[in-house]
Amino acid sequence: MSSDRVVVVGGGPGGIEAARGVAGLGLEVTIVEKLERLGGTPISENYAALTPNFEDAEAAMDRMIEAMLALPGVDVRTSSTVSACEGESGDFKVTISGAAGDETIDAGAVILATGFQHFDPGRETQMYGYYEHPDVIALQDLEAMLKDHNVVRPSNGEAPKRVCFVQCVGSRDRHIGNEYCSKVCCGVASKEAIEIRKLLPDCKVFIFYIDMRMYGYWENQIYWPAQEEHHVQYVKGIITEVLKKDGRLLVRGEDTTMGRPMEVLMDLVVLSVGMEPSRGTREMAGVLGIQQNKYGFIEAANPPLDTVTTSREGIYACGAALGPADLEDTISSAGAAAMKAVSLLRSGKTAAASS
Amino acid sequence: MTIPVEALLKKKENKSRFDRDAELAAGDAKRRDFHEELFELEEKGEWIVQRVPEPYVEVPTKYGRMKKVPKQMMWHHKSCGQCGHIPGYSTSIFWVQRKLGVDYNDPTDQTSCTAWNYYASATSNAAAQAAVAGRNFAAAYETGYFPLIHCGTSYGHYKEVREELLLHGELRKEVREIMKTLGKPLVMPEEIVHYSEWFYAMKDEIAKHQVRDFSDIAVTVHPACHYYKLVEQDAIYDPDVYGGQRTAIVSGVATALGAEVRDYSTWFDCCGFGFRHILVQRDFTRSFATQRKIEKMKEEANPDVTLTHDTGCVTTLDKSQFAAQAHDRNVGVPVMSEAQFAALAMGAHPYKVCQLHWHSADYRPLLEKMGIDWRAAWAEFEAEVERLEKGEIDFLTWADVDA
Amino acid sequence: MSQTGALYKAEAVAGYADVPLEEKQRLFDEVKADMRFPDYIYGCYECGICVAVCPSARFYDFSPRRIAQAVAREDAELVYQQMQEDIWECSQCFSCLRCPRGNNPGGIITIMREVSINNGLASAREALEGYTRIIYKIMSTGTQVSPDMLQPDAFPDWGPEVKDVSDKLELWRRALPPETHHTTTTGWEVSDKTLVELYLIWHKTGALKMIEEVDEGLHMILEEVMEERLEEEGIEV
Repeated sequence: MSSDRVVVVGGGPGGIEAARGVAGLGLEVTIVEKLERLGGTPISENYAALTPNFEDAEAAMDRMIEAMLALPGVDVRTSSTVSACEGESGDFKVTISGAAGDETIDAGAVILATGFQHFDPGRETQMYGYYEHPDVIALQDLEAMLKDHNVVRPSNGEAPKRVCFVQCVGSRDRHIGNEYCSKVCCGVASKEAIEIRKLLPDCKVFIFYIDMRMYGYWENQIYWPAQEEHHVQYVKGIITEVLKKDGRLLVRGEDTTMGRPMEVLMDLVVLSVGMEPSRGTREMAGVLGIQQNKYGFIEAANPPLDTVTTSREGIYACGAALGPADLEDTISSAGAAAMKAVSLLRSGKTAAASS
Repeated sequence: MTIPVEALLKKKENKSRFDRDAELAAGDAKRRDFHEELFELEEKGEWIVQRVPEPYVEVPTKYGRMKKVPKQMMWHHKSCGQCGHIPGYSTSIFWVQRKLGVDYNDPTDQTSCTAWNYYASATSNAAAQAAVAGRNFAAAYETGYFPLIHCGTSYGHYKEVREELLLHGELRKEVREIMKTLGKPLVMPEEIVHYSEWFYAMKDEIAKHQVRDFSDIAVTVHPACHYYKLVEQDAIYDPDVYGGQRTAIVSGVATALGAEVRDYSTWFDCCGFGFRHILVQRDFTRSFATQRKIEKMKEEANPDVTLTHDTGCVTTLDKSQFAAQAHDRNVGVPVMSEAQFAALAMGAHPYKVCQLHWHSADYRPLLEKMGIDWRAAWAEFEAEVERLEKGEIDFLTWADVDA
Repeated sequence: MSQTGALYKAEAVAGYADVPLEEKQRLFDEVKADMRFPDYIYGCYECGICVAVCPSARFYDFSPRRIAQAVAREDAELVYQQMQEDIWECSQCFSCLRCPRGNNPGGIITIMREVSINNGLASAREALEGYTRIIYKIMSTGTQVSPDMLQPDAFPDWGPEVKDVSDKLELWRRALPPETHHTTTTGWEVSDKTLVELYLIWHKTGALKMIEEVDEGLHMILEEVMEERLEEEGIEV
């Protein structure tokens, strides 16, 4: 028996947008979220403001959730995971495991929106002492402080006078195996740099980078204002090591523009960590039986002209489950996934319909 | 302090180090264990793999692979610079092994790895370097003892040679043919083991034999570049030492002996040896060793001694201080290998075993702090030299040093 | 073809002959022909990690990043200049292996040095000045440094202990308990059979021949020592 329901796995921006898309097109949708509340990484990792428009992350997510819930046919399952998916396109039996136990529901298609996790900068290849020095933090740690409007050195609670961002941590690195660019870190770091400059006008902020990837409108939404209005200092050259020195942090690298090794003292070092497939993405790939690429992200079957179809008919993916993605990418691919799922179910050409 | 900061500190405290995510790491070439290929080539008859003899200890390497380090049956692959200019280094390695009852072989059928020259002058090539390695490995194999590499450069270079031989069939063929002319098979040890890995593996056992208290001794550690930068995945790392982001070698031994390991900001820097520089451009070596290493240690950690685990590093850090001292620079840190340090902990004679009179930077305050009367010890050594001079004995023997 | 190379150092200062581009290309092709080359350079995005960890970059006008760039750009002109001016400044510590791209600038330099030796480049000859006795020692005895090399006149900067060692050398060597350590002209006792095997390796791999390009006198002496020894063993090369 064919089903017109779509199951969306993951309740972050991608999942919410996909569910909203499906419901908006008139089909029933069940959105399954592992955590207690919807909102995904921007909420669970305490993002302050979204990139690139500086909108309050919580308000933006709440608005998306409200818009989704306003539509008919949206069934929300928080604190739940998908533990099995039998059958074929048009007639999947999806098992949802929650506090009340397992429940198997019928679905015609599934959209995977399980996203990414932040690279753990304590990895053995890094020499940034993330777990050794309290004042070495990651982008999301700073987000939490910005959300609180209180940026301090965790070691002593004082406001930093010199902060630097280190780009490409966990990205573009053959040793780690993450050979890809994580796309968002340049923009997020620059956004956070602006926020620090606004909050602490006396604090100098540096960004050490290999290439600034500020494509499209991000150039003058974030990059130029950071340089021109907020005087964030961009230095081409990556940091190789962070060390303790005289109660501060010594960062070591090459100023490649000047062609000389450099060593400078900082009060706070922010590691611009990249994206890796979340545990949920990796686990769901197994549960749904869909192909992953060598990095563990979900492999799109027919790129670049179809970015959301997976290796199993009737199952689609969107957002950072497919690879590094910013919010704009995520929302776009979520819409595309919703459209493809609904098209398939409406076409009557599912495997279930033709058997 | 606000809640996000507390949460952050708590997160770090709870975790304190990274978790190896086996699933995420699976695609990474650096994590692949070379042994599968090593044994496959043996099955194809390309070479003989000399197995790590039992009993062995397993120690963790950078990406989590456990490496076998034999406890016994050592074929001592000696080091030019140690034997030539810091003979207390190799003597201490032998002495500690004798104390621990290790069955070993100190061969005369061993050449240098010749890598010091190769990195200094490039008057050699990949095939010659691999053949020299292969000849030494075959010599060890013939005795049934397992190679224990004394020099950091030999160790790093041999790891490189292994990688090259694994990668290039034509190189294996060339070296195999040369070996045939020498009447030897092409042999590759199952693991390439540095003596400092043996000390690391045996650190608790060594500590059990400790007779001198080192709890007042502060040390800095200089890890040898060729030990952990060449073929990095094969060096010892412990997630609990420096969060697994720096090699645990030497630090682990010093800590096991109760000494305090102090950090300094140029830990990752090389010593300044430079291979050719130490021989023909010593201004570079001297400046780098003193300005980037010794002075930084002195200023930031003020150690009683700096410990390292390689020939070139001991030489460079020790010998470079004299000229700097003449210019009133802030130097004056005794330098020795962790083998000598461990031997001293186990009660070795500072001159008859550790042969500290071959060292330059003043080690006497350190000996005093260790509770050693160096004047008396020196008199004992001089008495032995007198016996040698008078022809009463030909050589100082192992029996003499422990008398 | 690069014009940037000429900007680094004036040729008159560097003191080596310019050669036609074809010759520079031939030398570069020799570098690229080394079987290790493909694993030593992938590409360079100029992050500067190699320079940050490089001891020589702190002391000389030397940059492993420039080496990686020149080689990745396949700029024969610049590579030739680096073979004449830069490569002998490298410390061969291999700290630059931290390159996130997986490059091995130190390894590329090893190959560039080999090619410069094989072709008798001015920089190679100059680099080996004062180094002859080391090569002699390693190739003829199988140990690189020996106790008798510690002469105070050669090591005045190593302090008075060098003189003590030198004065007492023979006695102090006999005061070493390991039986293989009583030697003064080699690092340790090396058996005759081992030397013969080593000499065969130098012959068969062309390592001995390399010396001929940079130091004919040394080559002659080494060849004589080795041939004599091999002849005694009834081995012809």
